[in-house]
Amino acid sequence: MLSRSIRYFSNSAIRAATQVAPPTLQDVVIIGGGPAGLSLLATLKNSPKTKHLNCTLIEGGSLDKVREFATNPPQEYTNRCVSITPKTIDYMKHKIGSWDFIHEDRIKEYQGIIAYDGQDADSRVEFDVNSIGKDNLAAMCENINIQASLLAKVESLGLEDTTTIKDNTKVVDIINPLTPDLENHDLNEIDEVPGTGKLDWPIIKLSTGESIQTRLLVGCDGYNSPVRKYAQIESRGWQYNTFGVVATVKLQYEDFRSVGWQRFLTTGPLAILPLSEDNATIVWSSTPELSEILVKVNKDIFPRLVTAAMVLEETDLKYIYGLLKENPDDLSAVEEIEWRMSKVPEVVLEERYPAAIVSVLDGSRARFPLKLSHADTYVAPRVALVGDAAHTIHPLAGQGLNMGQSDVIHLVEALEKGIDRGLDLGSTLVLESYVSNAWPANHAMLGICDKMHKLFSTDFYPLVLARGLGMKTVNFLSPVKDMMMKSISL
Amino acid sequence: MLRNNSVKAIAQSQRIVKRPFVVAAAANALLGSFEFYKNIDLATKMDKGQLHYEDANAQFNKKRTDQPFFTRGEPEYPGHVPLYLHEKLLMFLGSSLGAYLHPERNEFIVALGESAAVTPVLRSIQTTMLNDPVGRQILRERPRMTSTSLDLDHLRALPSNSIGGTYVSWLDRENCSPDTRVPVRYIDNEELAYIYQRYRECHDFYHAITGLPITIEGEIAVKVFEFMNIGMPMSGLGSLFAPLRLKKSQKKRLYDVYYPWAF
Repeated sequence: MLSRSIRYFSNSAIRAATQVAPPTLQDVVIIGGGPAGLSLLATLKNSPKTKHLNCTLIEGGSLDKVREFATNPPQEYTNRCVSITPKTIDYMKHKIGSWDFIHEDRIKEYQGIIAYDGQDADSRVEFDVNSIGKDNLAAMCENINIQASLLAKVESLGLEDTTTIKDNTKVVDIINPLTPDLENHDLNEIDEVPGTGKLDWPIIKLSTGESIQTRLLVGCDGYNSPVRKYAQIESRGWQYNTFGVVATVKLQYEDFRSVGWQRFLTTGPLAILPLSEDNATIVWSSTPELSEILVKVNKDIFPRLVTAAMVLEETDLKYIYGLLKENPDDLSAVEEIEWRMSKVPEVVLEERYPAAIVSVLDGSRARFPLKLSHADTYVAPRVALVGDAAHTIHPLAGQGLNMGQSDVIHLVEALEKGIDRGLDLGSTLVLESYVSNAWPANHAMLGICDKMHKLFSTDFYPLVLARGLGMKTVNFLSPVKDMMMKSISL
Repeated sequence: MLRNNSVKAIAQSQRIVKRPFVVAAAANALLGSFEFYKNIDLATKMDKGQLHYEDANAQFNKKRTDQPFFTRGEPEYPGHVPLYLHEKLLMFLGSSLGAYLHPERNEFIVALGESAAVTPVLRSIQTTMLNDPVGRQILRERPRMTSTSLDLDHLRALPSNSIGGTYVSWLDRENCSPDTRVPVRYIDNEELAYIYQRYRECHDFYHAITGLPITIEGEIAVKVFEFMNIGMPMSGLGSLFAPLRLKKSQKKRLYDVYYPWAF
């Protein structure tokens, strides 16, 4: 009797020692602490209908840089900047409430966009927001500025008992308890939680050893989203086989015109977007070969190269790339640039082209691959996808982050409706309205940007003529331009 | 009959007189303009705000509103004569006719060449030159071939199988000078004008390399050669139409020997 009880006792002791703690229950777990994830957390906590939900945000990297940015931003601009539309700014002001915490002195509002063809600089479309009576077309903002404002908003709300942010925590695995993987996981992890019956809630295992079981799992974890893989949602698209090269630069003078410039070269569009005073940020989508040249070239030659790339013919540019490929410090490339630029009259250079770039910030040059992808759907039972996990787009129209923000708003609206109706937030009944609101518009935008990219990547003469004619016509028809501008305004 | 009578009766009773007004109105306008033009002129000036105000602003406005409808472009390089489109077209038609009928007269050939060298052709040649390092060097340094810039004595000293030697011996044989190339006047872009000038100056080179004389057959053969190599439209036109004026034997020689060789 005693031996049996001792054995039982020792068995239970062993079991207790080897038992993994049961998973914590949460309402919403957001994986990914980028702008999409932080936006979602902030919106959920800001909305009176959803602020009671137990939310956890898990971020694999460290959010310390973001926290430091909020209190002590660096002197120079960081190199990842986005263009935020007035709609997004409005969301941030009202639905999310994070605009109060953003560093407004680091935001540059601009009034127009001038986009022109690489083959013929006369084929241009010039957008000017004054013709629709608004003050600003869009604003340039650093990614980290947005993240910092969202984090500050979350922390300011003071809802610590229902909000948890776990940074420096990686997600080791996501288990669907309905199809348990008995070889790798402890039986205890899929046991029913007392009082609630068997749950089909996904279990997230973290690198700290904890596990969380959640009603709704939201994937804001980027293009290679593990959440999307867990939900077995297929994402379709293709690699563009181009890289986006970003850099922070200084212009020759503060350009009072306050517009964003974009030139559609056959290797990819080059955009120069204004930041405050005489700073600017460039995004140059280019072939892999060219992007390597751009990142490696001497930092004194790079500004001249960017200025030349906005003005010179593509034959000249190809020749210069050839020179710089051989030798990234080749100063004869600068002489070539000077000679060819001297063919363009000064007056034309000042009026129809952007201000010259004089220097690039050391260490700000980086490149990232560009791709198109769109998930088949954004939801699955107990799973939702937001941001880059759901869709990736070519940066030529600057819409990626804005689409992510509108995703967040639509998802929160769907969840609010679910709460109003007393429904289970993880059920597809609640989540489907998010898909129906967000998916078609996103798909259209992805398609447009893809076709624009393909249209401008060619120098086949009849097509060049046709698109030049198209651009000149659109430029002439102000109602069309007004309509395009209104679609991104409030 | 009855109606005519009644019309006549009405006309007689009412004495309707038809007045010719067109001539009278024209005369009125013409003669009246001598009398009233001053008033009309003053009224226009007052409308434009030029009558009572004379200051810097008025001058500025006058400059902006009083522009003539058609302004000729500015010359882009010394010797440039900017032409309107219709002038270019007329030059093309006139010189093509003249060059066909009188190919020995230089002005027609020159004018035909310049009016036929349209911008797309010159631009594609420019692109080809820019893609090649030697072409770029030529465009940058802009070498010209005149009797002063070329050192003919030095060239004479060169061996006869070099380009320089062949060129000079050909010049001496045909009694030519490199100065006979007319400067370009009607091409609108400065760099394209240089390219055309260079093409003209190289014409003698082609003669020298191929050894063709300055007879009509020789010239046509060089033209075909040039067209196949460079693509100047004028050479193409010359190759098509120039042989039609020749004697049968000359034509035979051209078509059977020179054209296939050039192609």
